[in-house]
Amino acid sequence: MALPGPLPTQRTRQREATRRRLIEAGLRVVADGGFAGASTAAIARATGKAHGTVFVHFPTRDALVAELVAEVGRTMSAQLAAAASGEPSLGAVLEAHLAALAAHEAVYARVLAEASTLPQAARAQVLALQSGIAFRLRAAWSRERARGAVRDLDPVALGNMWIALTNHYLMNRDLFAPGGSVITKCGAALATQFLDLVRT
Amino acid sequence: MGTELCRSCGSCGFPMRNPDDFAGGDPDAAYCSTCADASGALRPFDVVLQANAEYLVREQGIDLRAARSMANALLASMPAWQERR
Ligand SMILES: [Zn+2]
Repeated sequence: MALPGPLPTQRTRQREATRRRLIEAGLRVVADGGFAGASTAAIARATGKAHGTVFVHFPTRDALVAELVAEVGRTMSAQLAAAASGEPSLGAVLEAHLAALAAHEAVYARVLAEASTLPQAARAQVLALQSGIAFRLRAAWSRERARGAVRDLDPVALGNMWIALTNHYLMNRDLFAPGGSVITKCGAALATQFLDLVRT
Repeated sequence: MGTELCRSCGSCGFPMRNPDDFAGGDPDAAYCSTCADASGALRPFDVVLQANAEYLVREQGIDLRAARSMANALLASMPAWQERR
């Protein structure tokens, strides 16, 4: 046992780096071919590591898939919280949500399209993210409601209508924006249309 | 509008940004004010589960039993509840 000090640190760092590479490769594989094509073998291949490496870091494929979705969920909800901090307007919340969606569009669209086949933890991540958006929309709506700028409506419906609208465009992004970003192409128009419906 | 990312609750994943998002209003707390008490200690699992399920129901109008099942799956994947699996 020579050099007992620095070795574990380096090993921990390498281990963390490999885990990161597996997650990043997993997100690329999912963006390209969906979760259905994201086998542990395909993800290992994309990192140039042996297949068994995956299982050193994730006990099962479900655990890896859940972590991929959690990674996207964490990043998106943190981006949303950072961009829509303070007391943002309804328009600013929509804009922050669209920016978070645009940053993860390919993977997030796959998550939505394949939700029913994903492990429950992954689906729960999506639901938690959507609740975060709905929560911020409701808060912005009630501030604008207090000064009569928006209609009096069911705040649950407000959140669900916006989520349904964006999910519809994301799940059909190949039809609305073939080969490109549907959020970049249609996002601003969706926000304008939604605000037109909600404002007095 | 700041762009720096914030910390998230180790129990439910809620992104904590404002002081009152953190347990006890302490910006060093590991958990949010829903999941932990004012001293920063994690509340019992059943209490956290119910609070998270009610949040899903309140924001999205989903069925309470489905919300409990989803909240259970979400919490099970979080660092605070790993040992409970
Ligand atoms: Zn929490």
